Amino acid sequence: MAEYRLGVDIGGTHTDLVLTETRSGKLFIEKVASTPSNPSLAVMEGISRFLSRGVSSEEISFFGHGTTVTTNALLELKGSKIGLLITRGFRAVQEVQTQAREGNQFDLNFRRPPPLVSQSMTHEIAGRLDFEGNELEALDEEAIRIAAKSFKSAGIESIAVSFLFSYMNDRHEIRTREILEQEIPNAFISLSSKVLPRIREWPRLSTTLLNAYLEPVLAKYTNDLDRGLLKLGVTTPRRFLMQSNGGVMPLKTGAAGGKSVHTLLSGPAAGVQATAFILGQKQNNPHLVTMDMGGTSCDIAFISNARPLEVTEGAIDARRMDIPAFDISTISAGGGTIARLGVSGLISVGPDSAGADPGPVAYRKGGTQATVTDADLICGFLNPKFLLGGETILSIDATEEAIDSQIAGPMGITTKEAAAGIVRLINARMADEIRVQAAKKVIDLKNFTLVPFGGAGPVHAAMVAEELDIPRVLIPPNPGAFSALGLLCADIIHDYIQSDLVNLEELEPEKAEEKFKFLEGKADEELRDEGLEGEKRVFIREVDLRYAGQGYEIRTPLEGLSNAEMSKDVINEIAERFHEIHHKQHGHSARDQIIELVSYRVRVSVPVKKQAHWETDKILDISKKVSSREVTFDGVQTLDTMVYQRESLTSETISGPAIIEQLDSTTVIPEHWTAHLDDFGNIIAERQKT
Amino acid sequence: MKVDPITVELLRNRISSIMEEMDYHFYRSGYSTIVRESRDFSCAIVDRQGRLLVSPWMFFHSPVYFHYVQRILQLYGEDALQDGDVFVSNHPYDANLPHASDMGFVAPIFHSGKLVAFACTIAHKADVGGTVPGSTFGSATELYQEGMLLPPVRIHHRGKAIPDIERLISANTRAPYVVQGDIAGQIGVTRIGREQIQKICERFGADVLIGAMDQMIEASTLEFASALSTLPEGESEAQGFLDHDGVELNKQVKLHVKIKATNGRLHFDFSECDDQTKGPVNLRIGMVEAAVYYSLIGLLDPDLRYSDGIRDLISFTFRKNSVVNADPPRPCSSYMKCCQKLVDVILEAMDPLMPGRSIAHCGGSGGSIIVAWQGKTKPKRGNQYEIFGSAYGAGPNGDGTSGATPHLANLFAAPIEIIETEFPCRIRKFELTPDSGGAGRYRGGLNFAREYEALEPAELVYRSDRAIEAPKGLQGGKSGGFSQFILHPDSKDAQVMPSTCRLKIEKGTIFKLNGAGGGGYGDPKSRPKKSIEHDISEGYLTEEAARRDYGWNG
Repeated sequence: MAEYRLGVDIGGTHTDLVLTETRSGKLFIEKVASTPSNPSLAVMEGISRFLSRGVSSEEISFFGHGTTVTTNALLELKGSKIGLLITRGFRAVQEVQTQAREGNQFDLNFRRPPPLVSQSMTHEIAGRLDFEGNELEALDEEAIRIAAKSFKSAGIESIAVSFLFSYMNDRHEIRTREILEQEIPNAFISLSSKVLPRIREWPRLSTTLLNAYLEPVLAKYTNDLDRGLLKLGVTTPRRFLMQSNGGVMPLKTGAAGGKSVHTLLSGPAAGVQATAFILGQKQNNPHLVTMDMGGTSCDIAFISNARPLEVTEGAIDARRMDIPAFDISTISAGGGTIARLGVSGLISVGPDSAGADPGPVAYRKGGTQATVTDADLICGFLNPKFLLGGETILSIDATEEAIDSQIAGPMGITTKEAAAGIVRLINARMADEIRVQAAKKVIDLKNFTLVPFGGAGPVHAAMVAEELDIPRVLIPPNPGAFSALGLLCADIIHDYIQSDLVNLEELEPEKAEEKFKFLEGKADEELRDEGLEGEKRVFIREVDLRYAGQGYEIRTPLEGLSNAEMSKDVINEIAERFHEIHHKQHGHSARDQIIELVSYRVRVSVPVKKQAHWETDKILDISKKVSSREVTFDGVQTLDTMVYQRESLTSETISGPAIIEQLDSTTVIPEHWTAHLDDFGNIIAERQKT
Repeated sequence: MKVDPITVELLRNRISSIMEEMDYHFYRSGYSTIVRESRDFSCAIVDRQGRLLVSPWMFFHSPVYFHYVQRILQLYGEDALQDGDVFVSNHPYDANLPHASDMGFVAPIFHSGKLVAFACTIAHKADVGGTVPGSTFGSATELYQEGMLLPPVRIHHRGKAIPDIERLISANTRAPYVVQGDIAGQIGVTRIGREQIQKICERFGADVLIGAMDQMIEASTLEFASALSTLPEGESEAQGFLDHDGVELNKQVKLHVKIKATNGRLHFDFSECDDQTKGPVNLRIGMVEAAVYYSLIGLLDPDLRYSDGIRDLISFTFRKNSVVNADPPRPCSSYMKCCQKLVDVILEAMDPLMPGRSIAHCGGSGGSIIVAWQGKTKPKRGNQYEIFGSAYGAGPNGDGTSGATPHLANLFAAPIEIIETEFPCRIRKFELTPDSGGAGRYRGGLNFAREYEALEPAELVYRSDRAIEAPKGLQGGKSGGFSQFILHPDSKDAQVMPSTCRLKIEKGTIFKLNGAGGGGYGDPKSRPKKSIEHDISEGYLTEEAARRDYGWNG
């Protein structure tokens, strides 16, 4: 019997499915239209297609899933109706937040995003702890019961509880949950001490609210999915959901208290995980920067030593969310990004986008404003008859007319010059973003390889690399479905945190050990609940440190210290490591300053069996399917350029200028660049040495 | 040299990203609380004349750079500047820095022997000496009480540090370690700016960059002129009052502006502002310009790109020795509260000229406290310093935002859990103040109140404004709530304190700070009943105030 592993990645327009046969590594791909009103339908449709190709449902032994169901529910404000319990006297935590403004500083009409819970559904509960977690005032249980009754009569099914200093002592929150469960038996309850037991009341409250808002949505979705899978006969219990940190969790865990919020940034995480594992670890490219360029935006992430960089603080749609996630920055640079001529005679590209609807002018679906894709077409990068294998025919005439009337004409330049100008500007903007992000992360781009995916990424990648002096670009075999592969190469990961601010010098090793053991105990408990207790697991210990009084912490790993157990010596080593990291990130350290430990972190990782190799099709006849067309890079000079079909490429080197076309993407190789296939079927484009 | 427009735009984006990189490096490397938490700093690349090409993220320093760099050119002459030089100054009068606590660094950038630009940065310092710790002395009567004064001088010469200057600075601050760290950080970011601009020169040529910079400024001037051209001709004026200057507590300070629009140009006449003050609310010209330019961009189009080209379109009249055109050695460390009020007054004056764009007065800075704890229950960490936000005024598009730092300030509140962990105090309440949003068709934002209990004796300094003149409404909207500082609230000993005070408190003392609320917009009687009742159910409005201010009858 064959054994298959299935990855399903739901995107805005398409749902990508990848299926691998574990022994041969053979890969099957399906792409179906997404079904936003009930996303599980597209999943079922895709799986059915595999089944009709002869795969038997019981041969599927693993199901890895990436979904934007929580992300979309938040962006469209279609989450659950929720209630909130807070410490008496502290309503302003939600109203004032950080009191600072994000976004355009000149906007006189500054607004925060609408609150996820109204003040009338926010109940204040007496019961105060001090900063060490000592009880100053007893919990008012009667007030909780009264609140519960009002929630019940308002039809609220999900409740957030966030009390001050709950990270030091969770007893009030636990007791609150007991009472709520008595009063509203089927309610979803999100405790801040479970979702994010970390110091700073606003980020904790915000993260807890997001979880409460989205948990019922995710629960309903996973239910639908479970039922659908059962109907198709897919019975494997190994069903997993992608998280923002690049790990997966069991499907049922996602809706089982405090974890829904971990899926919010999982959309772009799968692609980064695929890059890190397949290209980084397995194919030995340790330093990579990804550039996922779609219709409206471009996601950028860095992978150093085959590990994606992470952040622990973030926001989505201006809502604060402090959970570990891949460090992905997004800029408004996509195929649909609009170019326009300003009154000053300068062209600006973005930030607005024609997206997929109405889309670029060339698509003739109602778009009238010139976009990046339109410019790509005029420059000759895109084949008007081959996009998506000929499913979409692009209109050169309409595109020329738009660029001419909106930009080239008024500027007194040719259509091609205008198009090449737009391409230059969008490339430079992506390059600027990568350069700034690299500087922030203290990364030297010279050692990095640029990995583009998404439909438009491979068109622009080599030109962006040229801007950045990055000498090497790697385009994976299926840039369109590459993200979904990430679902088949992620480990099960759970992150735990506990704040307890203390001067590192005064920290008793036994106490620290106790804290870590406590978090590791929580991890084991969770794994047991998930039925994973027998599996091999790895604990990773970290601490968040800062110089006394600093407003942010640095996540300091304990991996590789002389001993895993805490001792005075180990604490000294930790301090040393913190000084080093601080120096590396900020250019200086302060050895005479007091270091404070703010939080303990434990990550538990249960390794998932992954594909050892991926079979790719290689066709050895380069002579076939080669054509040529006129391409311009600068808008002035037109070059007769070879056009290859990707399937016909070999390990033989071709020289730019060249275009490589495939079903879901087009790769542009500029002058002074070469390209060849590597052993894994990746296109490697390299800058010729001068 | 005439540069093609694509390259101009490309270089403008590049310069903007270089400034972002400089910003980030300084934010992450700055030691002092004020840098980290309040982000009271900016970094910029300016052209050979000191003209800003794009605005830094923290806008209000933008107009300062031009005056500062011009002064360096005037003092030293372009020919005396050399590659690797870095200048420093904190002088409000000589170099136009907002106040002595702000230290600015300017590094000329050369390529193949030619001056092409300057890399600059301004950042607030934890302490520059003067009468009180922290240097921003709310009752200062002379500039000299606000700290040491550095006219523009070199701190690096041809790439080498001049240790004499650093020692001089260190000897004049109460926090030498922190200040040295920040100085190193600032000099570091000028180096980053310099290297990045030199890279551009290598790739494109210095002449292309210089030409492109001129064109960037021309372009944004054109954009600004085009936005201004929509304004009808006319004249309008408005005024407002600061509670006091921090010294003469019984004397309000008048801010007045008359604005004249002709031919797509604007003229701002400030000659009816009060005389320069004894206390430190005097403004330098850069700060007046910041208030004017900020207001105009907000009104015309928040996406307009600022450059110093705007100077060609806006003109000013100042009366000598007035609060917006003071003479040395008048103190100026409380400039921000004057700036914030000036923005309110300018927006009010612009309302008839640009109907349907202005918003009502904001709550301004919500005040600040500095608490020096005297006991020993916690390890010492220096003073507890908190700066509070207030609220936005309502506008034609909706209610004002509650609990925010408006306009030119953008400060982060210190988390309660951090404060209680670090300092011997307990926060008893953190709530919006009902009825503090000015009534109107659109309601002003509500301010917040924080109530503290001292767990040790302490010395406390409180500074605020808008306890006497509440933020005004616009277009028939009512005023927002007054700011208030109360000792022993909700008891028979309750005592309302003046908006600037210094006091000793005992262990167990309870005190409460209340910012000011935003003004309302439009006639309260026209506010939909549904919105009024929503405000009541959300606790933003009491039923009593709903009846009184809105004519609500349940």
